[in-house]
Amino acid sequence: MTFLGLVELNWTFFFMIVNFLVLYLVLKKFLFKPVTEFMNNRAKNIEDAFKEAEDKKYEAQALYVDYKDKLDHIKEERTQIIKDATKRAEERSDEIIKAAQQEAKEIIQRANVDIARERQKVINDLKDQISTLAMMAASKVIEKELDEKAHQQLIQQFIDEVGDTTWQN
Amino acid sequence: MEGFGPRVVFTLPIFDGIPITDTVVNTWIIMAILIGFSIIATRSFGKIPRGIQNATEALVDVLNKLTVQTMGEDKVFFAPYIGTLFLFLLLANLWGLIGFRQPTADINTTFGLAILTFVAIHGFGTKRKGVGGYLKGFLQPLPFMLPLNIIGELATPISLAFRLFGNMVGGFIIMALLYGGLTSLSGALGLSFFPVLQAGIPVVFHLYFDLFSGVLQTFIFVMLSMVFISMAMD
Repeated sequence: MTFLGLVELNWTFFFMIVNFLVLYLVLKKFLFKPVTEFMNNRAKNIEDAFKEAEDKKYEAQALYVDYKDKLDHIKEERTQIIKDATKRAEERSDEIIKAAQQEAKEIIQRANVDIARERQKVINDLKDQISTLAMMAASKVIEKELDEKAHQQLIQQFIDEVGDTTWQN
Repeated sequence: MEGFGPRVVFTLPIFDGIPITDTVVNTWIIMAILIGFSIIATRSFGKIPRGIQNATEALVDVLNKLTVQTMGEDKVFFAPYIGTLFLFLLLANLWGLIGFRQPTADINTTFGLAILTFVAIHGFGTKRKGVGGYLKGFLQPLPFMLPLNIIGELATPISLAFRLFGNMVGGFIIMALLYGGLTSLSGALGLSFFPVLQAGIPVVFHLYFDLFSGVLQTFIFVMLSMVFISMAMD
């Protein structure tokens, strides 16, 4: 066995530098870089997950408030709608009643006018008939004594006296 | 008596023959262990860490944090270098525990690593401060301090290399002497075929020279490298 000197620089010096640099490069590539990256990524992921959860919480809170507002609003709206509908229905019923009353009034008025006209017509008819009847009766009673002239005069007088006063109303 | 220098395992038949020592061979074994570990440990990384992934993550995390704490947040890209240095030195210094010569008990290893640190100090110092700003640092605090500053800078890798080398080689020699002594003592007891005294007694010395000293020197080397590099950059 040959031994080199205890304290002497030799080829081993270069071997060791190369060895160490190789070891450094390999460990960097296979140990330090991947593990560090892995841990950093995980830390980042966890951070992100926490942040996301926090965000989601805030979002949920906002949604909750929003929906609560909406619900309250809906209640209010519902009350308003019912009130409006009730009011409209009342108005409508009032209108209908008023219209019905109006119509009834008009019908009554028309009926009254019709009645008045009918009556007038009946009166006129009656007058005509009475005059005819009177003439017939008179001619029967005084058939022979009256001439044509007196006859006519008598009838006219009769009509004037009776017709205008008695049948006026 | 055989020397305490590194043993030549085989010789590459180029130039005048390049001797490959047990330092280099042990380093290759350590490299194989570390590379194998990195590949196996990172192969099946899941979202939820289990088994070896916990240990791997803890290891990388500790080394990353050590780098950030010592050098600052802006120099986190040194973490792989510092981490590699730490893992390699740790395994190399503890290599004596399994009965082999520590790769760090060889001035070539420690000086090689120290030179890498030296290059990093001045390379990154120049890169960060610019050539002018970097050279101006040699005239601080007063221009006539220039020679002293240069000597100081050159002393850094030497002190780094020899501190580690001295500790490790000292431990190695003491352990070798101890084992030799215990063999002789066993022989004196008529047990030369079975050196029974080698059982038990060396444990205490291993604990100090390999475990304590090895871990401590690893830590010192790594910390000093970080401090020197970050000082040159700030």
